[in-house]
Amino acid sequence: MRVCAFAAVVAVLVAGCGGSDETQLDVFAASSMRDVAPEVDDAPRYTFAGSDELAAQIRDGAPADVFLSASGAPMEELRSAGLVDAPVVFASNRLVVVVPEGNPAGLEELGDLARPGIKLILGGEGVPIGDYAREALAAAGLEAALENVVSLEQDVKGVLGKVALGEADAGIVYTTDVRAAAEDVRELAIPDDVQPDVRYYAAVVAAGDTDRAAEFVERLAGDEGGRALRAAGFLPVPSRAE
Amino acid sequence: MLSRAFGIALWVALAAAVLFLTLPLLALFLRVPPVELVAQLGSERAREALRVSLTTSLVAHTLILGFGTPAAYLLATKSFRGRSLVVALLELPLVVPPAVAGIGLLAAFGRSGLLGDELGALGLSIPFTQLAVVLAVCFVASPFYVRGAIAAFEAVDPRLLDASRTLGADRGRTFRRVALPLAAGGLGAGSTLAFARGLGEFGATIMFAGSLPGLTQTAPLAIYDSLDQDFDVALALGALFVVFSISILLAAKLIPSWTRSGSISPFPFARSRST
Repeated sequence: MRVCAFAAVVAVLVAGCGGSDETQLDVFAASSMRDVAPEVDDAPRYTFAGSDELAAQIRDGAPADVFLSASGAPMEELRSAGLVDAPVVFASNRLVVVVPEGNPAGLEELGDLARPGIKLILGGEGVPIGDYAREALAAAGLEAALENVVSLEQDVKGVLGKVALGEADAGIVYTTDVRAAAEDVRELAIPDDVQPDVRYYAAVVAAGDTDRAAEFVERLAGDEGGRALRAAGFLPVPSRAE
Repeated sequence: MLSRAFGIALWVALAAAVLFLTLPLLALFLRVPPVELVAQLGSERAREALRVSLTTSLVAHTLILGFGTPAAYLLATKSFRGRSLVVALLELPLVVPPAVAGIGLLAAFGRSGLLGDELGALGLSIPFTQLAVVLAVCFVASPFYVRGAIAAFEAVDPRLLDASRTLGADRGRTFRRVALPLAAGGLGAGSTLAFARGLGEFGATIMFAGSLPGLTQTAPLAIYDSLDQDFDVALALGALFVVFSISILLAAKLIPSWTRSGSISPFPFARSRST
């Protein structure tokens, strides 16, 4: 009898852990959307991480309804596997160099990142912020800066966090991230001519609640989303690369 | 009738536990063919990660043995006020989450940490270096050794140490010639466990040392980093870890019976049947 009771308790606990709340939309979003996404709609349950990591999770069957990616590659990967519907581009962003408050290495411009001995933090290979940053450095002819990389982080918050702690001399993040750590970091602008073409993609996950996911994407890409995104520092979708 | 049901329940529980604990490890090997696993281990990413792991683990382990052995000997042979507190402090990392250890190491040894200015004055910057990996491994793995070492030294009959002293050996010689050999089994077992735990270190390392292939990216970090791009590399490293861990565990179980101090179980939680 007690064994049965024990089994029943275990069954209830397991069911409780496994079952997700059917009424809540699951949105998997790039780390850089952390502050702005709930402002567009605070009803869904958000999971924030590097876009590439989220794509890997969705590929492995994570229960997502919407995927918001900070670059095209993770989205295309899921699209070609038939896991998401056609994505829409809903925002753009710019990169910026961040240095800790006090600027211990005395950096003044992007070019200083190539100075020997600088401790630079970037996103990892395949992580959108890392790939964009390497693109910008290459465009500026600063491949030497890659020699200064001391850590490759899994997402943009990892880059920002280690710089904000003062453990590294500089990192490259999105301009929109700086607001979250405005007291701990200073910005150095990256010139327009080396800024990569940052695009955020939203797509409905095929295996999810597609109707409500489509509503969410529409709202995000519409006027309401646009206002919140602009207020948070995101840019309208660029037309220059068309 | 009831007692039969009880007996069955015990077997069911055991079967469930064994199945649950071995299935994920088995699945690693089933998902990718063995030939492919071996091929992936030859990839540069995997080789670099293993090299970083081995180098840092060996250095960390030397430090753990070097400081841990005398410390454990003192704690096992002397009673003094606050001894229990000291033992508890040494064991604390066992129960502290690795992420907390990472934050703590940053707060203590980071550039803007407690000792940041002093280390900076010496020209030392620890985060993001292999030294940071070594410190992280020492922090999380040392209690596994120290715990086992204290138990091993405590199990040495104090009369043998006294006899050695009365026969004219000084304390150092007694330690080397009597205590160490008698405690060797327990020390070896604790040492292997600490080494295995150190190799698997993840949380404190990624926070304190960062993750850079070839420098601070250890095998567990490489597994995490490969998940979203190179799943096969992640699987191969994972499978290698399983093989290695099984050998470590077997070694830790067998070492005590190879040595004279076979009566000491290295596992206070898993005594063998003969004791």
